[in-house]
Amino acid sequence: MNTFLSRANTIFAFTLSVMAALTFGCFLTTAFNDHLAPVTMNTAKLIVKNVPDYSASREKNDLGFITFDLQADLNSIFNWNVKLLFVYLTAEYQTKSNEVNQVVLWDKIIKRGENAVLDYRSMNTKYYFWDDGNGLKGNKNVTLSLSWNVIPNAGTLPKIKGDGRHVFAFPEEYQSSKF
Amino acid sequence: MDFVIGMLPESVRNLPTHMDFDGQRRAERIFQIIIVLFAAVGFVWGYICQQFSQTMYILGAGFVLSCLLTLPPWPIYRRKPLPWQKARPSVDEKEGSTSQAAAAPAGKGKKKK
Repeated sequence: MNTFLSRANTIFAFTLSVMAALTFGCFLTTAFNDHLAPVTMNTAKLIVKNVPDYSASREKNDLGFITFDLQADLNSIFNWNVKLLFVYLTAEYQTKSNEVNQVVLWDKIIKRGENAVLDYRSMNTKYYFWDDGNGLKGNKNVTLSLSWNVIPNAGTLPKIKGDGRHVFAFPEEYQSSKF
Repeated sequence: MDFVIGMLPESVRNLPTHMDFDGQRRAERIFQIIIVLFAAVGFVWGYICQQFSQTMYILGAGFVLSCLLTLPPWPIYRRKPLPWQKARPSVDEKEGSTSQAAAAPAGKGKKKK
């Protein structure tokens, strides 16, 4: 503390320590939030095709096409320790070859301050709904659910499954593929 | 650095630039209080308007203020100078160097008290 530089060093170090304490406090104020929100979903057009995925192999695999409705108000999740939400729609189903299959069909990044009310009708999926075999045709139990990752300023990275899901069945017949 | 200082005019060179021990303690106490106070206010304000950036800006303001108040050696930090002993009369210098060496440690001990 006897020279200008040693005082500058001490003040800077002290400020950094206080800043770390503040950040930890910010984390503590939001550590016990459940980050949950209700979600309603529905599906419209459901088609399944049997086409080769040339990016993987020449074998024919099942490819599903769905359109979905989605309503969710995620405003309640945002607070001073949330920078953005990574929201993604997954389809989960069971096949003979795999106990659990999960396919991400659609996603969206919602930054804080942007519109966090999701209200979509007859949306197309963003990514292909490929099965790694023939598990989609006639599958009676495909579950759609919306999940999100909460990206905070400080703290954990919670992965939350939205409160609400939709179960649908794919048709029993392939639609002829016109590629 | 010394070369640069040597080029400055006499009036500038004679400006006092040190803090006494008590002043150093006061400077440290002052910046700790200011920064913690700004941090507490900033935390509450950031929580009220739900913007953590506001907390950081207020903490930054406290940092700048405490820098202004405690980095320069203001006269307020020079109020309790150490009571140094008076310089010995120059007769001592004529005596042998051994006696000076013996006297020096004793003198230092007294100064610390």
